[in-house]
Amino acid sequence: MDCTTPSRRSFLAAVGNLASAGWIALNWPQIALAADHAGHIHHADADVPPATLKTLSAAEAADVDAIANQIVPGGATPGARDARAIHFIDNALGTFFAAQLPAFRKGLGEFQAAYAAQHGADKPFAAAADAEQVAWLQQVDRTPFFTAVRRLTVLGLIALPKYGGNHDNLGWKLLGVEDNHVWSPPFGYYDRDYPGFEPYPGTKPYTA
Amino acid sequence: MDRKTFKTSETVDFVVVGSGASGGIMARELSRAGFSVVVMEQGPRMQPEDFEHDELKYRHLSGITNSPEANPQTFRHAPDEKAVRLGGRNPLTYARIVGGSSAHFNANFWRLHEIDFIEGSRFGSIPGASLVDWPITYAELEPYYTKVEWEVGVSGLAGASPFDPWRSKPYPMPPLPVKSSGVLFERGARKLGLHPFPAPMAIASVPFKNRPPCVQCGLCGGFGCEVMAKSSSVWTVIPEAEATGNCEIRPDSYVFRIGMDKAGRATGVHYFDKTRVEQFQNARAVVVCANGSETPKLLLNSENSLFPQGLANSSGAVGRYLMFNKGGGAMARFEHPLNEYKGANVTRVLHDFYDSDPRRGFYGGGGFDARSGGPLTWGQSVPKGTPAWGQGFKDYLESYTYWMNCAGHGTSLAQENNRVDIDPELKDAWGVPAMRVTYKDHPDDVKHAEWQVERAVEIMDAAGAREIVRGEVGEASGGVHLLGTCRMGNDPKSSVIDKYHRTHDVRNLFLCDGSSMVTSGRGQPTQTIEALAFRAADFITRFAKAGEI
Repeated sequence: MDCTTPSRRSFLAAVGNLASAGWIALNWPQIALAADHAGHIHHADADVPPATLKTLSAAEAADVDAIANQIVPGGATPGARDARAIHFIDNALGTFFAAQLPAFRKGLGEFQAAYAAQHGADKPFAAAADAEQVAWLQQVDRTPFFTAVRRLTVLGLIALPKYGGNHDNLGWKLLGVEDNHVWSPPFGYYDRDYPGFEPYPGTKPYTA
Repeated sequence: MDRKTFKTSETVDFVVVGSGASGGIMARELSRAGFSVVVMEQGPRMQPEDFEHDELKYRHLSGITNSPEANPQTFRHAPDEKAVRLGGRNPLTYARIVGGSSAHFNANFWRLHEIDFIEGSRFGSIPGASLVDWPITYAELEPYYTKVEWEVGVSGLAGASPFDPWRSKPYPMPPLPVKSSGVLFERGARKLGLHPFPAPMAIASVPFKNRPPCVQCGLCGGFGCEVMAKSSSVWTVIPEAEATGNCEIRPDSYVFRIGMDKAGRATGVHYFDKTRVEQFQNARAVVVCANGSETPKLLLNSENSLFPQGLANSSGAVGRYLMFNKGGGAMARFEHPLNEYKGANVTRVLHDFYDSDPRRGFYGGGGFDARSGGPLTWGQSVPKGTPAWGQGFKDYLESYTYWMNCAGHGTSLAQENNRVDIDPELKDAWGVPAMRVTYKDHPDDVKHAEWQVERAVEIMDAAGAREIVRGEVGEASGGVHLLGTCRMGNDPKSSVIDKYHRTHDVRNLFLCDGSSMVTSGRGQPTQTIEALAFRAADFITRFAKAGEI
């Protein structure tokens, strides 16, 4: 966090305790700045994203990462691997989605066993060529396991970086979302030249 | 500020159960009238700096709402089915923090129209439904709608919609700035001869009562507002209630039973404190403002020998006539970026189709707005025909800023079998019997929602959309607008509370929240709930001062 500004906590507490219209007007730039820190900046050490995998084994993580990277492939623009979605998935299954871990692991085991039955036990899915991975996933993309990986991948791509994914805001960049939380008009292309609200015949809009 | 506290052994004038849209107002009005008040809130008290822009936590992990793990519910479509838990979610969702659902609402503030109060007599009987008149009229509620707008803070442009009901004052603040979705919605609707207008929103557009204006962060629905621009009870009436020195807000206090004496009067509330230790707060009267699901649950869980069917339930109507707000809409993609993640969620609305029109062949009416959602939730699903993974899916993700929603919000008919009651087996994390939800859409609700989809497609087409995705109208299995479950009425045989919000059966027990509503309105109930709260508090104050409680 940029420490040259008031801490978000102390500043918003001041908003709550001291605010008057004049005070707000005087301090508006700082209010906006404090709000800007609302979500994307880490609030505490506990919000530092996990840097290592703690839940899945290396082999498990490799296959899940490979699946995730076919769900949102890399290339000219970032994909799931670039955004470190696997770190989110590993973190989620070890914490807030821990209840889903047994079913996830069972599904992953079945996925690996089925792949090995067709391609050989010494050739993990993660080591296969892209075309082969895609061909296999097309056979299994309606299974609950694939659905779970897909959901986690998208969450890992877009959720706050503190959860492990969306590394360097790459998920937001992919979507076109800028990392900022204070905006002013124009917001988009179509409100740039809005001429103002035109009253309807017979109506008389009025203000306080 | 030193906050007033009361001992549980003290007999306070009023216990208010719930600190949300109605509970906060009730607390302020009663404490300003000089009464001692304790407000019981299930959830914690959050400070502005506690709110984060964390879509995962708030929209997917029950960060500030009831959770399927701690507060489980069961669901079924019909009374002859066994209710089951829905995988990973509850059918009924509400906020569990000081400020209640007013802390996380989208802040759309529509008044009901005059027709909403008299549809029973206007349209007559509808098979399978219980469409009846309210015991009050729009004229009786109008001063309180105005009070909400000026006391709590609503921005908008009075007189802009030809379909608006009459009003005694304009809004205290001008409308919020329009977004691209609002411009496109307005463009399409005007081409069709419709009358979109600036959305009335409970969000400060200019400094208001010592609160700053909206910073346009774009995350309203589901989130708390860290700059306090959203007119949530926690930032508005609750501090004002506390400033009287007569009111204590007691967070992390889960009321599970209303205490009763042998004479049939409420004596206070049983609750679990933060450490899950059972407590009892003495009170001369109880006002339940716990929302349309928790209020009937509390009454039904308070059964005793005098009230074997649940408290205030001689009519059998407690928990029945549950209504959501069904609607249909469309999603549309345009040529250039709209950036809907920026700015307050809704900036334009239209009410041309508000009234039910018998020529359509079914009952139902509603409004439309242009709105947006956060990227995390948006990315979870894809339109029919769009790849769910691979390069095609990635292309879809990259188009996020080009999309908007044209959302229809409409009526749900009251039906006797649609209800909240108590599950015979399931208990929550405190061991309190959990709620069971029974709900099936009325056929007219479905027809109206499908009709709304067609209108939304027309509006987006007229706006120049490159691609339009029709909304799917599925069978409802839950909602966030929780209405009608302790309906008001003049007849004690068919309603739970009278027109002053006093229960027909218990003289010192009052109810005021979404459960009081007789019909569903058209989708944005909070302003009505708050107007009802101001009005109810007015009468409760009069009764108390006259010794009539």
